[in-house]
Amino acid sequence: MLNKRYLKVLTSACIILPVVFILISLFIGRYDLGIKDIFTILVNGQNWSLDPEHAIEYSLVYEIRLPRALLAFIVGGALSISGGALQGMFRNPLVDSGMLGVSAGAGFGACLGIIFFHNNFMIYTLAFLFGIIAVLLSFIIGKIYDSAPTVTLVLGGVVISAIFSALISFMKYVADPLEKLPTITFWLMGSLSRANFQDTAIALIPIAVGALGIMLVRWQINVLSLGDREAGTLGVNTGLCRAIVIVCTSIATAGAVCVSGTIGWVGLIIPHIVRMIVGNDNRVLLPVCLSVGGCFLLIVDLIARSIVSTEIPLGVLTAMVGGPFFIVILKRTKGGGSW
Amino acid sequence: MTVLQVENLSFSYQEKKVLNGVSFSVEQGEIFCVFGSNGCGKTTMLDCILGLNKSEGGNVFIDGDNLLEMSPARKAQKIAYVSQKSDRTFPYSVLEIVLMGRTAYSGMFSSPGQDDVEVAEKALSSVGMSNFRDRVYTKLSGGEAQLVKIARAIAQDTKLIIFDEPTSHLDFRHELNVIKYIAKIIRDKNISVVMATHFPNHAYFFESYGLPTRVALMENGMFGAVGLPSEVLNRENMADIFKIRTKNFRDCEGDRVLNFVVPIDFCAGGEWQSE
Repeated sequence: MLNKRYLKVLTSACIILPVVFILISLFIGRYDLGIKDIFTILVNGQNWSLDPEHAIEYSLVYEIRLPRALLAFIVGGALSISGGALQGMFRNPLVDSGMLGVSAGAGFGACLGIIFFHNNFMIYTLAFLFGIIAVLLSFIIGKIYDSAPTVTLVLGGVVISAIFSALISFMKYVADPLEKLPTITFWLMGSLSRANFQDTAIALIPIAVGALGIMLVRWQINVLSLGDREAGTLGVNTGLCRAIVIVCTSIATAGAVCVSGTIGWVGLIIPHIVRMIVGNDNRVLLPVCLSVGGCFLLIVDLIARSIVSTEIPLGVLTAMVGGPFFIVILKRTKGGGSW
Repeated sequence: MTVLQVENLSFSYQEKKVLNGVSFSVEQGEIFCVFGSNGCGKTTMLDCILGLNKSEGGNVFIDGDNLLEMSPARKAQKIAYVSQKSDRTFPYSVLEIVLMGRTAYSGMFSSPGQDDVEVAEKALSSVGMSNFRDRVYTKLSGGEAQLVKIARAIAQDTKLIIFDEPTSHLDFRHELNVIKYIAKIIRDKNISVVMATHFPNHAYFFESYGLPTRVALMENGMFGAVGLPSEVLNRENMADIFKIRTKNFRDCEGDRVLNFVVPIDFCAGGEWQSE
């Protein structure tokens, strides 16, 4: 277990770093803004928007860069904390936030939204809805044969993901190749480019609810990761606890992917990286995941929107940045704290 | 005072009857050893008492309360469990593992606090494992891991601890160490123990240690004989129930009388039927 001083430093770092990165992200972009500009905008806020001379700067900061940075942070945090919680619950380091079919289901929902409605609100709603439906189906499959619930649950997730992936392929096949297909393809690769304050607020509700739920049972996840036999005799209501974790991770993940599209890797790799740094105690691991995952996606999104003139899809970059990052950490810590 | 009362417990896996009307009770400060071959129903019985299996018939009372009416947390405040071997898990530190013994006291939505850490540390030191506090649990040897789990059971602060073959894959030295600590906590804390074992001499060990000890011989989901070790672990019972020929020996060490039983051969008609 970590000592108190280390824990204090860690807590401060987890709060300060995101703020720093969000501030930095306000400076970075195609339109140059100096430190002075940013601070005046942040301090004066609304008053500036009335000044036509500075309207561009104002809307750039408040309507584009800030909401996008916040969205990147909460999406990354949601995916990471969900991935970490599910890994603990399933006692399986290969599980990620999309394990129970949320991502595939949300992808299918988004396809439906894009093809039949083509407005953001319906895309978000359908993506969220089908994400949750996919998890419910996995859960029902997991209940069919209940002697080893976690194994059948994982199996259920794999089956449901496969079915929804097939449905996504079918939707892509029938979609109008000039107009709808590119939209679907880009959605599936993940992007925050359409982010505005409204989207961020929509995503924040389920993410906050899910993350809060996960944080409340984080000690129970520790005990649950010893296996049902031991957890049961240590006083954990294993069925109820598992249900809470599944519901909360699904809500948080669905809330994230419905606005950002499919972003892989974050929910798998961030928990492992954090494990190597702070150990396996979910009391510490999960909140740190929230912060580190948020910062990670924030940085990746900065790269995505600034490195070349067109945006690079996020899902592509998370793997390209995350992979080497993981290897470096693995080498540094010699896998300490990991399996 | 009766801590555990088991009445007419029965259980089946699909069609197969595994437990067939088992009844017994365990007093405070007493150790109750269940001795029997693999597959005789020992573990199933322990699982029913722990509430991990739902028994089909019969009642289990712990400290006067019916097991069926207890929440998991309440149950865990009454019975602790030390398994044969743990499942694979994440590499928690030893102290974190012991701290998990306090889960039943912290409520579903909160974590153990500083006083729980102190309880855990005390429990670790009572099995001589204080130096292992920050070691990685999954990298411990079998004997060390068993002691950590015993510490966790102590931290759980229950009246009853259930052991399921706690020494089944330990070397001679670690076996003694684990058995000795089990005897020590029964004496120091005046708790009760139910222990499944393959080794009849464990029962003799506890008896010669001066603990109130009873042993039950289990075969085909029933108790063949129950009583004091020296009454039960005799030639006749061994021949009747397990179809093996044994010889009992007795020696002294200071003022301790040492009993032990040694297997010799199968009885006529009781030979191992291999293919």
